[in-house]
Amino acid sequence: MKILVCIKQVLESGTDIKIDESGKWVHYSDSSRFEINPYDNYAIEEAILIKEKFEDAHIDVITVGPDRTADVLRRALGMGADEAIHIIDKTDGYRPPAVTASWISAYAKDKKYDLILTGIMSEDEMNAQTGPMIAQIMDLPCATATIRQNISEDKKSITIEREIEGGERDQFDITLPCVLTIQTGINSPRYPALSKVLRAKKKTFDIIQSETLDMPVHTPKLNDIILPIKEAQGLFIEGNIENKADQLLKILASRSLL
Amino acid sequence: MTQKIAIIAGHDGKKITTATWELFAFAQKLADSSNSGSDNTDICFYLIGENTREGAEEISFRSGCPVIAADVPGTRNYQGPIFKKTLLKLFSKNTFNYIIAPHNTSGMDYAPAISLGLGGTCMTAVEDVKEKEGSLLFLRSMYGGKIQARMEIDAPLAILTLAPGAFKPVQPEKNSTADVSHIIIDTPQAKMTYIGSLPSPSQGSNLAKAEVIVAGGRGIEEEENYQFIEQLADIFPRAATGASRPICDYGWVKYSQQVGATGTIVAPKLYIACGISGSTQHLEGIRDSRFIIAINSDPDAPILQVADVCIIEDLTEFIPIVVEAYKNRKRPAN
Ligand SMILES: Cc1cc2nc3c(=O)[nH]c(=O)nc-3n(C[C@H](O)[C@H](O)[C@H](O)COP(=O)(O)OP(=O)(O)OC[C@H]3O[C@@H](n4cnc5c(N)ncnc54)[C@H](O)[C@@H]3O)c2cc1C
Ligand SMILES: Nc1ncnc2c1ncn2[C@@H]1O[C@H](COP(=O)(O)O)[C@@H](O)[C@H]1O
Repeated sequence: MKILVCIKQVLESGTDIKIDESGKWVHYSDSSRFEINPYDNYAIEEAILIKEKFEDAHIDVITVGPDRTADVLRRALGMGADEAIHIIDKTDGYRPPAVTASWISAYAKDKKYDLILTGIMSEDEMNAQTGPMIAQIMDLPCATATIRQNISEDKKSITIEREIEGGERDQFDITLPCVLTIQTGINSPRYPALSKVLRAKKKTFDIIQSETLDMPVHTPKLNDIILPIKEAQGLFIEGNIENKADQLLKILASRSLL
Repeated sequence: MTQKIAIIAGHDGKKITTATWELFAFAQKLADSSNSGSDNTDICFYLIGENTREGAEEISFRSGCPVIAADVPGTRNYQGPIFKKTLLKLFSKNTFNYIIAPHNTSGMDYAPAISLGLGGTCMTAVEDVKEKEGSLLFLRSMYGGKIQARMEIDAPLAILTLAPGAFKPVQPEKNSTADVSHIIIDTPQAKMTYIGSLPSPSQGSNLAKAEVIVAGGRGIEEEENYQFIEQLADIFPRAATGASRPICDYGWVKYSQQVGATGTIVAPKLYIACGISGSTQHLEGIRDSRFIIAINSDPDAPILQVADVCIIEDLTEFIPIVVEAYKNRKRPAN
C-alpha cells in the first residue's frame, strides 16, 4: 500500500494580509509566518491511520513551492510520513492549480501509488482543484470531500463516504488506485512527535527542480489582487465597550427580540 | 462571431434549483460584458440526470433558451465518474466559450476534471465579471474573503463554477417554446460505483426552525469559551445555539449545531455570529436570516459585509458585559 499525500504551505491563519507593491500577490516579509494548509493535516492524519491498520503501508508527502516550503515536509515527517518529495518552484506567487497538479502527476505517474490524498482546498487560494485535476491527468477515479474511508482486506478497493449539501453522505466503492480529497472532521490530526521531528531534521528529501517539468497549455492568468470593496456594510456600533453593550440591548429591544 | 455559453442546470426532484437561475443571471452579465468582441451570445442549458424531461421543458419555457436534456439512468444522486464521462461526451463535439456550473459539492467535483478533459481552463467560486480595456476580469475570493483576485482567461474554453449567492437568481417568464432536445445516455462503466446514501449528522437539528440563534466560531479560541455563546443565548426567551464548522470538527460542539452549506440552513429572525469570519460556506447557511449581528475582533472580517449590526470587540470581554447590562436593565430601578 503506497500512499502519496499532497501538502501545501500557506500563511499562518490570522495573519494580517497585505498586498505587495506589484499588486499581483500577497506581501510576504521576513517576519511572515507560514504553516501547513490546515486542511492538509486531515489528509496526512488519514494516511497515518491507514498505515496503523496496514503495516506494509508507506507514506510519501509531496509539496510544490519555494525553498521555505520544505518546512511542511518536515512537519509531515514529524507526524509520521516516511519520505518527502520537494518540487522546488522558485517563483513565490500565484501558481495555477493546473500547474501544481500537472507537476505532481508527472512525479507520481510511474510510482504506482495506490492512494493519492489531498486536502479539500487550500486555505489561501481556495481553488479545490488540485486533487480532481491530478485524478484527471492520471486517469484515476476521484472522490472529493471524503469524510470516511475503509480499505478492503485485499487492498484492491476502498469504500468511501463523500459529503454533499446539508452534510448528507453518498457512499461509493472505488477500485484502487484512486485520488481522494479529504474533508475536515474525518479525524483529529495529531501533532508532530518530538522524536520524529528530530529524525526528520536529518532526513534528505527527493528534490525536483520545476524547470525540468512541463507547463500545461492553458491556465488562468492572475491580473491582480485587491482588497474587497466594502459595499453594503451594516451599522457599526461605536463607543466604549459598556456603551456598545447598551446600544446593542436597545437595538434588540426596539426590534422586540428580547 | 457568436459567443456560446452552456449552463449546467440542476433539478432537485421537485423543481429547478435556485443555482440554475443564478447561473442564468451570471450568463447574461457575461454576455453583456463581452459583447464588445462578438456579435451576440447564445446561451444554452444542459440538464443531466434521471427523468429530465419536465425540468428541461420548464427551463426552456421560462428562459427562452434551448435545453439539452440528457437522461442517464440510475443517477438520481450525483455520481462523479458518470457525470464527468457524460459531460465530456456532450461537450466534445460542441464548442463553447464558457461552461458554467454551480460551485456546490457536485460542481466542485467535475469542473476541474472536465476542464482538462476538454482542453480548457478552470476557475472555481467566481463571484463576478467585469470588462476592463477589452478583456474580461473574473473576480474570486482568496484568504477566506479577505482578498479578491481578478483573473483572466487565456484559453478557447473556460469552465467556471459560480459562488452561491453571488448573483440574484433571475425569474424569467418568457413563456417561449425554445428547443428541447432529449437524449438518453448509457450509464458508463466506472471504477467508482454508488452504493447508497447516509443522512447528515445534523439531521433533525432544532436550528432550522429556531427564531433566534447565537452562534460561535473559531474566534472563541477554546472549548470552554462556548459558555459565552450559551450565556448570550440565555438573555433571549427562546434561543438556540449554533456553530461554524471548525468548532464542530474539533469536537467542541455537536454537528447538529453546525450552520452552513454542509450543516443546517437557518432562517431565524435574529442571527448573532460571534467569532465567525463569514466564509461563503457559512454565509450560505444564514442568507435567509432576517437580522444579523456580528461580534468580531477584526474590522475587516467578511461577515461584516452581510451583518446589519457590527460590533468590533473581543467576544470574551463583550458578551459578559452585555449579559450584565441586560440583568441590570431587568432589575427594577429604585
Ligand atoms: C466543502 C466545504 C464545506 C464547508 N461547509 C461549512 C459549513 O457548512 N459551515 C461552516 O461554518 N463552515 C464550512 N466550511 C468551512 C469554511 O470554509 C470556513 O473554514 C469556516 O466557516 C470558518 O469558520 P470560522 O468563521 O469559525 O473560523 P475563522 O475563519 O478562523 O474565523 C474566526 C473569526 O473569529 C474572529 N475572532 C478571533 N478571535 C476573536 C475574539 N476573541 N473575539 C471576537 N472575534 C474573534 C476572527 O477575526 C475571525 O473573523 C466548509 C468548507 C468546505 C471546503
Ligand atoms: N503547492 C502545492 N503542493 C502540494 N500540494 C498542493 C499544493 N497546492 C495545493 N495542493 C494540494 O491540493 C489541495 C487543494 O488545493 P487547491 O486546489 O489549491 O484548493 C491542497 O489541500 C493540497 O493537498
